[in-house]
Amino acid sequence: MASHGGRPNYVAVWAWLVALVILGLAVSFLPGARSMAVALIFATAVAKALLVALNYMHLRSESRLIYAIAIVPVLFVLGLTVALFPDFVFHR
Amino acid sequence: MATRAEAQAIPGILPGKVGVWWFLASEVMLFGGLIASYVVFRLGSAGWSTESAHLSVPIAAVNTLVLLTSSLTMVQAFAAVEGGDQPRLRMHLGLTILLGLTFLGIKAFEYTFEIRAGFTPGAGIFWSFYYTMTGLHALHVLAGIVVNTLLFVRAGRGTRNWHQVELAGLYWHLVDIVWIFLFPLLYLT
Amino acid sequence: MADTAFATVAEHSAHVHDVKPGFWHTYVFSTDHKTIGKQYLCIGLIWAVVGGLLAYVMRWQLAWPDTAVPGWGEVGPEVYNMMVTMHGTIMVFFVAMPILLGAYGNFLIPLMIGARDMAFPRLNMLSVWVFAFASLVLFLSFFVPGGAASAGWTGYPPLSAKVEYTGVNWGMNLWILALALEFASFLMGGVNYLTTAITLRVPGMTFFRLPLVVWQQLTAATLFLLSVGPLIAGAVMLLLDRTIGTHFYLPDLGGDPLLWQHLFWFFGHPEVYVILLPALGFVLEVLPVFSRKPIFSYRGIIYSTIAAGGLSFVVWAHHMFVSGMDPRLAMPFSITTILISVPFAFIVFAMIATLWRGSIRFDTPMLFALGFLAMFIVGGLTGIFNGSAPADIYISDTYFVVAHFHYTLFSSVVFGGFAGFYFWFSKMFGRLLNETLGKVHFWLTLVCFNLTFFPMHNIGLAGMGRRIANPLQYEFLVPHQWVNVLVTVGAILLLAAQIPLVLNIAWSLLAGRAAPANPWEANTLEWTAPSPPPHLNWETLPVVYRGPYEYSVPEVREEWLPQDQALAAPSR
Repeated sequence: MASHGGRPNYVAVWAWLVALVILGLAVSFLPGARSMAVALIFATAVAKALLVALNYMHLRSESRLIYAIAIVPVLFVLGLTVALFPDFVFHR
Repeated sequence: MATRAEAQAIPGILPGKVGVWWFLASEVMLFGGLIASYVVFRLGSAGWSTESAHLSVPIAAVNTLVLLTSSLTMVQAFAAVEGGDQPRLRMHLGLTILLGLTFLGIKAFEYTFEIRAGFTPGAGIFWSFYYTMTGLHALHVLAGIVVNTLLFVRAGRGTRNWHQVELAGLYWHLVDIVWIFLFPLLYLT
Repeated sequence: MADTAFATVAEHSAHVHDVKPGFWHTYVFSTDHKTIGKQYLCIGLIWAVVGGLLAYVMRWQLAWPDTAVPGWGEVGPEVYNMMVTMHGTIMVFFVAMPILLGAYGNFLIPLMIGARDMAFPRLNMLSVWVFAFASLVLFLSFFVPGGAASAGWTGYPPLSAKVEYTGVNWGMNLWILALALEFASFLMGGVNYLTTAITLRVPGMTFFRLPLVVWQQLTAATLFLLSVGPLIAGAVMLLLDRTIGTHFYLPDLGGDPLLWQHLFWFFGHPEVYVILLPALGFVLEVLPVFSRKPIFSYRGIIYSTIAAGGLSFVVWAHHMFVSGMDPRLAMPFSITTILISVPFAFIVFAMIATLWRGSIRFDTPMLFALGFLAMFIVGGLTGIFNGSAPADIYISDTYFVVAHFHYTLFSSVVFGGFAGFYFWFSKMFGRLLNETLGKVHFWLTLVCFNLTFFPMHNIGLAGMGRRIANPLQYEFLVPHQWVNVLVTVGAILLLAAQIPLVLNIAWSLLAGRAAPANPWEANTLEWTAPSPPPHLNWETLPVVYRGPYEYSVPEVREEWLPQDQALAAPSR
């Protein structure tokens, strides 16, 4: 199922997603620096999310307005998380 | 003062898609609020890893693959619509529904197993978050299954509902993305 | 393309429904945005009466503690807590939201952009039905054993998280459920407003030719859509703490009550702008029409609105200066709070500049708009004190804050809301309201409002705390009790001052003059439709040639120049 009409190759994306799941699992079982492992695991999560969003949700080919509607809440969530750090991470 | 009338619709934007994306934005804020709370609580206290060690990573990994595959079948349903292929649309919608039900089934099995072992929502703050986050996610999966079933039935009647398949797909993919983050947050770290 | 596809569907259904729809379809199960707007208005006004009556009972108890309130009976501390809670909840979520957003957002947006209806009419109908159901749930919460919620409209845990702390069980759960349903309803509405304005504008109606009230409604919808998620998450957590024993907010088991405050106010602060912005929009529409002048700095107002909207997401902890949160958060949030006063100040100055050298018509809508302007300036000024952490440490949780938010909220919901109500009444209902009764209503409301709320600044600074049922139990408040009596007298008069409005509505609907299409000689598109507009609004959709504020322009002899009026060739 090659890509047609400018659409992504959905099966290829799926293969990458599976690979990233396996990678994340592998990293979580490796010994060694915990924080490195966590960073890598979340990197795979972000990569998977981007693959789904850009290819399955077609964000790659959508207008700037749709892209803005998609990205702004993500930034807000990140901002909220950071703002909660002083009260819950530094003080508990 | 301009007197020439210009068409104002943003080219290629259909109302349904704009509407669904705004809805998805609010869903991101909903799950984001839960996730933000979880992250800061977790980073701020010790002992959560010992609790999360009681979760079954293999079961959740299988569930992750189930949901990722259901995203593939969902977008294939959309591709079938774009190609005007009604039988292929039904097949992929059906597969998506089945995979969604599989996800919920596995989740139900998981919950039963955990509750029997004494890990109820009241067992500790980790478990409070675990059940709330995965429970709310599961409700969203259920809602998606219901919508997909309606589309499946309509596709059987031959109605041309291609736009709705795309919109339902957008929702389904977001539910998948939420799980993509819940999996490492709860199980792998 | 979206336009024409939708228009074709609409045109088609206009012909198909030549058979007149019955009562149920017209008034109850309608997908028409104008009917849905009126349904929101009705429910909101009914709740306004309930909220006002609660205020009456509360104020009586405060002025003459532990005496029987006429028409109610004795009010003990638990009942008082319940009244304070429900007064706030009702006024914010079941009066302000449905009237300012639900009613006027629905009614105005399609008409002002030249659309036949909202982008999703059936979703619209669902939204008002979900809201009606939410209202029912909240109403029922008064009658369950244990009574209605009594942990404040802000519902802080641990008080709200454990049944034994308030003695209220189902009332509190139903409160959470009613709010969740209300949020769902307005999420649907918000999606509808934004999609409609983005995709259904007629040719010529660019974004920068939209009436300012539409910009305000869209910004409010965006704010709501993006801020309510974390609170829904928090509310789910609260409900679970109460029912299945989770530990999100209970400190003895690993939770933290402060989390609720952050999640609540992350929504709560944008929410007050969700309420303010539509009212601001009404006033921004009324001022140019009744000054016969263009609005001052149309784009400046839009950019200020967007800036304020963006900033509203980073000020929330100014509600938490005394909560025990990390003190290092106080300065950044004070700074952002002071910053947010800048765009609002710009808008206020733009309003004054619009009036400057205008040819003012003092009809009732204009009086209420001017009333908004004056009262909002007072409320905004006290906001500066509240927003600065050092000052707020002293005045937080006193009546100074109550005065502040009533000066801002009341100006929005009542003065701004009535400006819109009187302005668009004839378009909504096809009858003109009586001007004399309107003026009486305005002046009585203005005077009684100030009588009620201004003294609260003083008594707040004297140390009277919020949410106390009996001020006389505090020795230092006893010499100030006369202020409480004065406020209560003002409050009762304020409620009575609404009688001319009720009479006016009744008289107008029963025996008022039929309204022409454009009684105020205004420019925006809704005035080109009949009063009231028929289903699907126009025979032929208008085409737009200019912005909405071309008043007293040299090109035409009249003082107004509608958006859809084509001009003859310049050689005249």
